[in-house]
Amino acid sequence: MNESQTKTHADFVLPPNVVTKIDVSHLVSELERIDDELTTASVRAQTGVNVQVTPTLSEQLNGFLVQNQITLTTGPQRSELIKQLRLLKDSAPIIHMTFAVEADRESLQLLAQWLRSSVHPQAVIAVGLQPALIAGVYLRTPNHVKDLSLRAMLDGGHNVIVGELEALRGVS
Amino acid sequence: MVLFRGKKKSLAEQTAAAEQHFFDENFREELRNHGRWYFEKVINENGALFKQDLDATVAQINNDLKEHATSQLDAALAQVNNELKEHVTKQLDEKFAEHGQAMKDAQDAALQSITSGAQALQQQHQQLAAQLQKTIAEQEAMITSAFEENKAQITKMRDTQGLALQWLAQSVKALQEQHQQLETALQKNVAEQESMLVGMFEQNMARIIEHYLLNALGDQYDLKAQLPSIIKQMEANKQAIADDMKL
Repeated sequence: MNESQTKTHADFVLPPNVVTKIDVSHLVSELERIDDELTTASVRAQTGVNVQVTPTLSEQLNGFLVQNQITLTTGPQRSELIKQLRLLKDSAPIIHMTFAVEADRESLQLLAQWLRSSVHPQAVIAVGLQPALIAGVYLRTPNHVKDLSLRAMLDGGHNVIVGELEALRGVS
Repeated sequence: MVLFRGKKKSLAEQTAAAEQHFFDENFREELRNHGRWYFEKVINENGALFKQDLDATVAQINNDLKEHATSQLDAALAQVNNELKEHVTKQLDEKFAEHGQAMKDAQDAALQSITSGAQALQQQHQQLAAQLQKTIAEQEAMITSAFEENKAQITKMRDTQGLALQWLAQSVKALQEQHQQLETALQKNVAEQESMLVGMFEQNMARIIEHYLLNALGDQYDLKAQLPSIIKQMEANKQAIADDMKL
């Protein structure tokens, strides 16, 4: 935790199973809950009640702690970590991705990995659903929109289809 | 003792006395018994003989009676037979005579009836023949008149048919002209419709394809299958995305 004391939110590495901004929010709330439990236990210990507390960590939080080599030993450490995570939640770049079908967790993890390796190491995804896209993705970054859906491709190819048909008619 | 009682008594008396002396009560009784036994013996023997004689006599009588009765019965039966035969023969002859007479009467009556029936049939036949001839003559007259009428009608119909054929020929000609005009108009119309439909089809083709793809791929093309394509497209736009993130 000594190293983690020096880590800020900009230095955090997000594990692959933390994909969306909601996942980061879950990390914060879970950390807060664990901090509450441990603080309560330490206060009780000071009053003479010896209670052994072993907090249960979610897979995401555990992955985050392992990935960043952080331990939750003392109260100040935990408080600082919560503070940094909140900052991370607010500052992490969000990419809105709208799909034509329901996005499964595994695919989202792969996309998050690609984004973090290619675009930004702390990028998170906000997922949307729009069946009219047929296939592909509708991508929205803070300032731009990229329609990479099949529908957009077909719209672009409309003139091509008409041209082909006219060519087939030939005579007319 | 009695025998020696009076020496002076007569011989008869003496005999009687001697008799009285010998034939005392026991001796008499003995004699009676003997006599009774003898009598019974004689009676029995005579009875047996009499019984034998009687049995033989009865048997003889029976035989005689049987023979007599048989001979009497045979004679009576022969007589009765003769009488019965004569009676039956007589009765049969009478009946045969009656039946022969009745049959002869019936034959006469039947013959008379057949003769009268044949005469009536002949008369009816003659009447029918006359009637048939009359009817045939009437039918002939009727057919002849009908034939004449039909002949006139056929001639008239033939004239009418000729007129109708002429009219039909004219109608067919007019119809052919109309048909040609209609065909021309229809061809023109069909060509216009075809070109209009093709134009509409071409205009809506892209939407139709989109709709088809949307229905066909909508639920079956999952994100995992699309992932390589998405990543490839994002890779192509990687720089633009990254630049936008840095802003």
